[in-house]
Amino acid sequence: MIAIDNLHKRFGDVRAVDGVTFTADDGKVTGLLGPNGAGKTTTLRMLYTLMRPDEGRILVDGIDAVADPQGARFALGVLPDQSGLYPRLTAREHIEYFGELQGITGADLRSRTDHLLKMLDMTAIAERRVAGFSHGERTKTALARAIVHNPKNVLLDEPTNGLDVMSTRAVREIIRRLKGEGHTVLFSSHVMQEVSALCDTIVVIARGRIVGAGSPDDLRRQTGHENLEDAFVALSGLEPESVS
Amino acid sequence: MSAKSTPVTQALVVIKKELKDWSRDRRSIITVLVSSLLAPGIIFFMFNSMASRQRSVEDITVPVVGAANAPAFVDWLKQQAGVTIVEGPENPEEAVRSRREDVVVVIPENFAKNFKASRPAQVRLISDGSSQNARPKIQRVRQMLNRYSGEIGSLRLIARGVSPVVASPVQVEDVEVSSAQQRAAMILGFIPLFVMLSAFTGAMGITTDSTAGERERGSFEALLVNPAPRIAIAAGKWLAGTLTAIATVMITAGLLFAMFRYLPLQDLGIRFRLGTPEMLGTMAVVLPLCPLIVAIQMYVATFAKSFKEAQSYLSFLMMAQMIPGMMATMNPTGTKAWMYYIPWIGQQTLLTDVLGNKPIGVMVFAVVGVVNVVLAVVAIRATAGLLHREKIIFGR
Repeated sequence: MIAIDNLHKRFGDVRAVDGVTFTADDGKVTGLLGPNGAGKTTTLRMLYTLMRPDEGRILVDGIDAVADPQGARFALGVLPDQSGLYPRLTAREHIEYFGELQGITGADLRSRTDHLLKMLDMTAIAERRVAGFSHGERTKTALARAIVHNPKNVLLDEPTNGLDVMSTRAVREIIRRLKGEGHTVLFSSHVMQEVSALCDTIVVIARGRIVGAGSPDDLRRQTGHENLEDAFVALSGLEPESVS
Repeated sequence: MSAKSTPVTQALVVIKKELKDWSRDRRSIITVLVSSLLAPGIIFFMFNSMASRQRSVEDITVPVVGAANAPAFVDWLKQQAGVTIVEGPENPEEAVRSRREDVVVVIPENFAKNFKASRPAQVRLISDGSSQNARPKIQRVRQMLNRYSGEIGSLRLIARGVSPVVASPVQVEDVEVSSAQQRAAMILGFIPLFVMLSAFTGAMGITTDSTAGERERGSFEALLVNPAPRIAIAAGKWLAGTLTAIATVMITAGLLFAMFRYLPLQDLGIRFRLGTPEMLGTMAVVLPLCPLIVAIQMYVATFAKSFKEAQSYLSFLMMAQMIPGMMATMNPTGTKAWMYYIPWIGQQTLLTDVLGNKPIGVMVFAVVGVVNVVLAVVAIRATAGLLHREKIIFGR
């Protein structure tokens, strides 16, 4: 479970995140939805402890992530915005590297790696170096290494961005599976369909603020728009009249 | 969530990964091979060309014009060690001027007549004084001619009942400090520089790849989300780099000293002893510098956003580290006690002592090693500090 309270972060004069508050529950998929530059990535970066908030509190399974980033990281599995891979290592070696950093070794590491490779349909490419991988294969590798330690909380920054249909389906499958196993899944996206297909709770963010939160039905009710996309546009203030 | 993951095991995991990753990087491996072959190669080439120049004085071919005018003299020349007499060219002046010949001896027709009459018989030595390469050969030929003249002179005095000693009121003893020896000594002075350079270039590939390379690929973010303290990650990368630096130094020093067994040092009149003790001494001096070199490389390369940027920063650093060695070689001032304890200057000073067979206290070795490792730890902590900076983690 993740709880964020009144999070602030500024870069110079820009208030990138300006008082964000929300919670993501166990066994639920929470979507952080917003247009480009709304503050999604910055919020997630503070959440996974690589960026220090100017103000606010973050609790990961009750651990204060600002005071004890190290402790919080044990409970997190993260697919960051930049999920760079090492071109000369194989898919399996990527997963094992991160597993070993988490303290997993030997037969346990091997069975977890095999399980992930099978689940993500990567067995055929497991021993290939990632240098020649497609975008989808790279994302799957990054995802597998992020969850090798079976973390309670999984954060995914735009996981399906730029993926083809098959890869997108594989990622969605993983998200549903993690939810079924009782994990907290929080992912960001700027794609309405993505969020509405998967999420129990949608948190809409625009210009660093939360402009709406709740189930898809809640959001329709809040905005009075039957179409979820219209609701999103209304909430994020992207309509021409409100832009001026 | 395992209790097994401590910073030490995490650092070991990082070392293993970095070495595996590096061993598959053909470019880095080639850099290591080239940089460890470079020093022995250059020194071998320099020594060999000097030795062959020396040999060119030992085995000489002297063209003689008019050999028929003085058969006894020519026979005497032929008997000299390493001398071959050939028929001289038609136009000796022209041949020397156009550098076809270094030197030509011309025996005029009236040689025999003057010789028999005990008058000075002329022999013409045609040479070009502006030709640097020909000078040792010309000198050798002139010496031979003078010696023949001296021998004949002595015989004539004996025939007249006079001791030849009377005719040499002054005896000249040659004490040669030849330029070849000086140059050889200077090349040996470059050994410390080359060995330290190989430590630097050997580690460069892995340090840039594991710092600036992570930034360029955008892989730092995912790596640092792992519950490993920054110091464990930095230390792992540092130790992996240090291992490659050490390996390069050992290969370079090994090749260098193996090569000295085959170099014709005696031909150059060099009495340096370069054997196993000197090799071990060289390694004992340079190896403690490796952790420091790698730590500084890592600190600098972490500021770079890309592999290329890091390489240009590091090439400046490489030139900077050569300055103390250069200054010591070009302008040797006396050794002062403080010099031992400054990295690079200390290595240079110690290596000069090692190669010069000067006894060195174990304490000096120990203190130099400790100073280097302590400074390396300071640099690595600073690098770990950089890994907390948002601009470094996210900035590409």
